Amino acid sequence: MTDIDRELPVPFEQAREVEAFLLREARLLDDERWDDWLAGLSEAIHYWMPGIENRRREDRSGPYRLEHMAYFDDGLRELQRRVARFKQPSAWAENPPTRNVHLVTNIEVFAGAEADEYVVHSCFINVRSRGLDEQHQISGRREDVIRREADGLKLLKRKILIPNAMLLCKNINTFL
Amino acid sequence: MSQVFLCHRDELEPGTLKKVAGGDAGDICVYNLDGKYYATADMCTHATASLAEGDMEGDLITCPVHWGQFHIPSGQAVTFPCERAVRTYRIITTDKEVFADTSAESEEAELAAASPI
Amino acid sequence: MNEIIKLRPIETSEPLKNLDRICDMESGRMSGKIFWDKDIYEQELEKVFARCWLFVAHESQLPKAGDYLTTTMGEDEVLVVRQKDASIRVMLNACPHRGNKVCFAEAGNARGFICNYHGWSFGADGGRLMGMHESKCYEESGFDKSQHGLRQARVASYKGLVFATFAEDAPTLEEYLGPMTWYLDVMLDMDEGGSEFFGGCIRSTIECNWKIAAENFVGDILHGGWTHDSAAKAMLGGPVTNVGELPESYSVNWNGHGYEFATDVVGNAATLGEREINKYLHTLRPKVAERLGEFRSKLIGAISSFTVFPNFSFLPGQNTVRVWQPRGPDKIDLYTWVIVNKNAPQEIKGKWRRGAMMTFSPTGVFEMDDGENWEYCTKTSRGMVTRYQDLYVGLGMHTRIDDSELPGNVFRGQLNECNARAFYQRWKDLLQSPTWADVPDRNGKMR
Repeated sequence: MTDIDRELPVPFEQAREVEAFLLREARLLDDERWDDWLAGLSEAIHYWMPGIENRRREDRSGPYRLEHMAYFDDGLRELQRRVARFKQPSAWAENPPTRNVHLVTNIEVFAGAEADEYVVHSCFINVRSRGLDEQHQISGRREDVIRREADGLKLLKRKILIPNAMLLCKNINTFL
Repeated sequence: MSQVFLCHRDELEPGTLKKVAGGDAGDICVYNLDGKYYATADMCTHATASLAEGDMEGDLITCPVHWGQFHIPSGQAVTFPCERAVRTYRIITTDKEVFADTSAESEEAELAAASPI
Repeated sequence: MNEIIKLRPIETSEPLKNLDRICDMESGRMSGKIFWDKDIYEQELEKVFARCWLFVAHESQLPKAGDYLTTTMGEDEVLVVRQKDASIRVMLNACPHRGNKVCFAEAGNARGFICNYHGWSFGADGGRLMGMHESKCYEESGFDKSQHGLRQARVASYKGLVFATFAEDAPTLEEYLGPMTWYLDVMLDMDEGGSEFFGGCIRSTIECNWKIAAENFVGDILHGGWTHDSAAKAMLGGPVTNVGELPESYSVNWNGHGYEFATDVVGNAATLGEREINKYLHTLRPKVAERLGEFRSKLIGAISSFTVFPNFSFLPGQNTVRVWQPRGPDKIDLYTWVIVNKNAPQEIKGKWRRGAMMTFSPTGVFEMDDGENWEYCTKTSRGMVTRYQDLYVGLGMHTRIDDSELPGNVFRGQLNECNARAFYQRWKDLLQSPTWADVPDRNGKMR
């Protein structure tokens, strides 16, 4: 967790560049451009969405932990496997396709721990619809480390926190 | 002066407590707080509960029913839902025995009562 | 003085009249009405969930006195608390004053529980009512605290799995599980350390009837090759194992519980795509053979699935453990855990946690295709004609092995619907029986 007093802003141009990266990422996911999405990840990616626990305030365990079960706790290999399933003609639950909208907002860009890294906070709303009347909405907050690598900005780390201690839909067949 | 026998000097380990029948004064709870003895009424001032069944936490007694707390030396109510101070009793110790003087409060309680706050 | 208020027993309602028409396991037919009807659902709450032994926790989730978790038995909210004497108590998480929920957190450690409404305070030690806010006025009215604690369930454990029931006349847990304990040991008793849950609980929702999910795990490997082709290709680079060509497989059931399995040691585990896990199981197998025998040592991660009636299921190998919590005829809350051997290396446990979530979870590449199937098996029964059409549950009639040395009712092959038939038959028997004593014993008889 970033210490809020030590957050250092970055020059305006860089902040806009990072913001554009996130908005483009959302559009790639809306369009099922899986390979382009994977190309935006660092090889060292850790993509993490922990399960949330409904504990009392005084409970020092807190609402989530690294050792807890997670919706995503993935390196590149796991994310590639997920994409491999999406692309299978026999992914029955993806045909007809799910229609997605990914909204990204509340973007804040700060200097990262290393010179070529940014710490980026954002919020998201994802709306998915299947069939005629199925609609699911997931929202939450993301804390990213985005790194400038040889061929551009890449997502190095993502932590996704949703407010729900119980996921109110049957699956998450997209990325957030 | 009315004295109630509470316990022997070496009977309670520091950090432990005990309920004693107090006759007309009602049940009394006696505490060994870091080697020094204190006594309060055993009945919590919030609701029916025996403080002697609670836990000593530092110099506070936590009531076992709603977890409100009193400051042991002065009887002051410290944590919700306790609002009214619990009655304290001045301790009289001899060589071997510990008594409660049911006609007097502890020194700490008197100081607290005299304080302008 | 007030009379002591005795808890009234739940009244048994009359069995619904058309159950034989909509659930005919002799012929292997049923109707979607059993997945849709509200009256049936209410009777399930009464005659299945308020009667059977239901899974509530694994012992490993409550290591210290005062540790608690909240869960449900059917739709009853319950508190599960480790006591100072090391026993576990299960009690209704509902204040006996006005019914308010007493504990709102999903887990933690507490010295007691206080209702937020009128300050009724219950000890962690089995829910004794210890006191109330404004206690004097209760005393003046003759109130007897000792009669108003949190309602207790009967609790029993089998090798780490904690079950509870509110039915005073239910058989013991050992009787309830019967010979299925021999098969449960494959998951629970591989070595002297036994098992533990690892990584907490994940909860999600599926809009399907609970029986569809429970039945899928009781004996439906048939769907694996078709539903999960995409997941197998993603994780393993090839299709699901051709289960029909495996040399040796069985379906076993008893009183509605069911287990279908092959003897290929790591068929399920392999889908996690972690060589280290396969290696761990292969290395462990001789030890398991010494402990449980050669036969059971071949099942430890094999292609298989298991349901303990009514709604507790797991997959050996992927090590995913489920309760399908009923929330109406067309909805479940799904509780998911991962089970591992206590003695497994920490790194292996971590791989299992991640692997189980990767394959069987709301984001699991296998499970994503199941959810859709189950939802639409339920939703089509909106239609009146659909609701009454015959559904085929007839695969594998006459495949019983009468002289098998294996315990339970044993059938040839895991591509078989005998376990589903036994599951629905037991379901119907419970709905038609006024008390436990009336529930028929069909062991040795079903085809």
